[in-house]
Amino acid sequence: MSVSLLPIDHLSMPKAFQIHASYFNPYRTISRCRLKCSPVRCCDRRREGISVRTKKNYYELLGVSVDSSSQKIKEAYRNLLKKHHPDIAGHKGHEYTLLLNEAYNVLMAEDLRTKYDDSIGHMTVQFGTNNYVNVKGSSSWKGPLRPQALFVDENACIGCRECVHHASNTFILDKSTGCARVRTQYGDDEHKIEVSVESCPVNCIYWVDREELALLEFLTQPQPKQGYGVYGQGWEKPANVFMAAKTLSKQLRQQAENNHNSVRTAVEEETPAQAEARANASLKIKMESFSKIWDSLNEIFG
Amino acid sequence: MIVYLFRVFDKQQLPYFFVKIQEWMNHNTLWLLIVKPLGRRKSSSAFAEIAIGIDIGTSQCSIAVWNGSQVELLKNTRNQKLMRSYVTFKDEVPSGGVSNQISHECEIFSGVAIFNMKRLIGRVDTDPVVHASKKLPFLVQTLDIGVRPFIAALVNNAWRSTTPEEVLAIFLVELRVMAELQLKKPIRNVVLTIPVSFSRFQLTRIERACAMAGLHILRLMPEPTAVALLYAQQQQQTVHENMGSGSEKNALIFNMGAGYCDVAVTATAGGVSQIKALAGAAIGGEDILQNMMQYLLPNSEGLFLNHRINEIKLLGLLRVATEDAIHRLSSQSSVQVDVDLGNGFKIYKVVTREEFEQVNLEVFEKCESLVTQCLRDSKVDIEDLTDVILVGGCSYIPKIRNVVMAVCKREELYKEINPLEAAVCGAALEGAVASGITDPFGSLDLLTIQVTPLGIGIRADGNSFVPIIPRNTTIPSRKELLFTTTHDNQTQALILVYEGEGTKVEENHLLGYFKIVGIPAAPKGIPEINVCMDIDASNVLRVFAGVVMPGTDQPPFMEVRMPTIDDGHGWCVEALNRTYGSTLDLVTVQKKM
Repeated sequence: MSVSLLPIDHLSMPKAFQIHASYFNPYRTISRCRLKCSPVRCCDRRREGISVRTKKNYYELLGVSVDSSSQKIKEAYRNLLKKHHPDIAGHKGHEYTLLLNEAYNVLMAEDLRTKYDDSIGHMTVQFGTNNYVNVKGSSSWKGPLRPQALFVDENACIGCRECVHHASNTFILDKSTGCARVRTQYGDDEHKIEVSVESCPVNCIYWVDREELALLEFLTQPQPKQGYGVYGQGWEKPANVFMAAKTLSKQLRQQAENNHNSVRTAVEEETPAQAEARANASLKIKMESFSKIWDSLNEIFG
Repeated sequence: MIVYLFRVFDKQQLPYFFVKIQEWMNHNTLWLLIVKPLGRRKSSSAFAEIAIGIDIGTSQCSIAVWNGSQVELLKNTRNQKLMRSYVTFKDEVPSGGVSNQISHECEIFSGVAIFNMKRLIGRVDTDPVVHASKKLPFLVQTLDIGVRPFIAALVNNAWRSTTPEEVLAIFLVELRVMAELQLKKPIRNVVLTIPVSFSRFQLTRIERACAMAGLHILRLMPEPTAVALLYAQQQQQTVHENMGSGSEKNALIFNMGAGYCDVAVTATAGGVSQIKALAGAAIGGEDILQNMMQYLLPNSEGLFLNHRINEIKLLGLLRVATEDAIHRLSSQSSVQVDVDLGNGFKIYKVVTREEFEQVNLEVFEKCESLVTQCLRDSKVDIEDLTDVILVGGCSYIPKIRNVVMAVCKREELYKEINPLEAAVCGAALEGAVASGITDPFGSLDLLTIQVTPLGIGIRADGNSFVPIIPRNTTIPSRKELLFTTTHDNQTQALILVYEGEGTKVEENHLLGYFKIVGIPAAPKGIPEINVCMDIDASNVLRVFAGVVMPGTDQPPFMEVRMPTIDDGHGWCVEALNRTYGSTLDLVTVQKKM
């Protein structure tokens, strides 16, 4: 269960998965502690397999946005394989390639992808961490993820089209709201984006942290309003989206803390087998740091 | 914490080190071992050991290597790039087609030489392909009991028994010696091309032959995927030259040699060749040849099977004449066969191309169905195919070209590839890539993403074959399935691993079996047995089986590398069935949605 505690960050994704993977990698454990090899692993592996499965996001794994075309996914998949395929990366690429293959298979099959999108849609409600991205109207990323992202405060936007004029690959005018919004982050070169930000007459284009972006874009979308009988129903969106984001993220943090606590109690009840698996994994991480030392030693002594 | 650091300079010392370490383990509380074999470091340096590519064809072999800037085919002392695959047992020392100087073509067919080993390797004597091989001019005897056939060459009027593995190993040694002389360095790693339809058991036979020849197999590549890699490289180079967009290209590759017919569909972009589907069967030029021999000399069945010395000679002559006629029919619309076989057998016949196509109708129909099947499996529309590539000796036959072009609705075939050298070139490229060689001009910026040609699963639900990894799954792959017991308090279960496409186990190849013991006693259907299969990039299959049951401290778990059986026949399964009946059976657990 400890797996689900690992922080999942966009950028460190592949690394995080490799750590996950080491939990249910049967070879490594066997080759390393052949003598102490515990027969519990299979059952263990499965449990962890499930927790990893519900936690990992195929889109993040492939580094594509949720609305990517299958062509994009294909490209991303092949580019990643060119780095991690065992033919190129050696046997250490095996586990990661397995994950990539699985992600690719799901996302390339239309029915499986729909099903998968539904399942991570549920996750949005449940965990609400990084998964606002599949909200309709959110922006996609061109190129690598960067720490800063563009966000248009639609409440302030007057629909002047200045920004669309200067950086047409980044901004579009949403016809339903009459306001501009970001379609593709970094869709144009930096100069054009800078000009368009400057050109906004009401200064409603903001640079925000990437982590906040999903939340902000989520809140910009009108949400169904809780009604009382026939009164007060309809759609609403917060008047100040930044304040709302702050409040919501605070709530989420609390929720996460609660989850965290409940998971921690679960961890305390872990079986000896799980404890061993965990020890193995931490040993593995230590081993990695040792191999770094080894490499540098080798470089020195040739 | 105490850390021991070893630098193992010689790989041969490794086993010794492990023994030492095991001794120490008993004395030290915590130890950590970092072993980094020197060989691995070497492969990243400039002096890396490059794996060579070998294409062992049913009739011809070739060997190629990445020479630093391109793929180079190695030639033997007679300046041949393509060497005939045969081994003669004429003298004390057997010699193969690499170095051997044959005085006359017919000598190969006089009984002293064994050839077509690729058609015979890893097959039992109930196999129809083995039965078809009984017409070859050396001894192939079958007793139809499901063991390996008796194969022998005629040496001094006595039959000298041999095996396809031995013949292949002798041949591979000659290839290795030839390459080592030319490259002036020892050769160990190879990439071999194999037919798509080879079972895993046949692959182990190939591995065995390589081990006998002192070669280590880095990759086994289905032949059309090797061609696909070469195609990927060519496409990438044209992109570089034209600075155009590297758009995705789909290609169908049809490879038909003397022994096997293989089809692959590949999607290529940016030097990555992603195999979409594979299909293959053991049909080839040999079948065409035998059909024609039968046609030219009807009622000769008995003659073929007696294997008396005169008749072997006669057969040899007929073979040479027929082969020649088939070759000429590729460019002429009719040929005249005029040959005196001796013993009162004379053939004088004019054969037209129509007759030839009629005689081999079944072969061509099979080719067509393979192409159709592969296209269907790949889910690539015919309109989306950029190129159709034909390689292999049989690709010169006009009918074959027409059949493939008709199925793919094409007027033209891809021309930039040498049909006889494409597979070995692809294998050499893969050898360089998998050895970690990089090229400053990006010529080795390649990757091939393989799929499994055959499904793998276990026996469950009675006599059914339950696939766990289906056909055309991208490898590396890992899949698992849950099974449960069929009897109350069943504490043991037998895992029988099969490979193939049939729904019943008898229709598939047995790969191996093992037993899970110590299942906690429970009513039937309660214990869950997880069977997981893992295929890595070098196509090694591992099967994991473990009991998943909450509340048990040490449930049984096993990891087995397949195949485990060493004889290729299913006798043992019959014995198991006799002894245990269905007491150790498993059934699949329906997935809870």
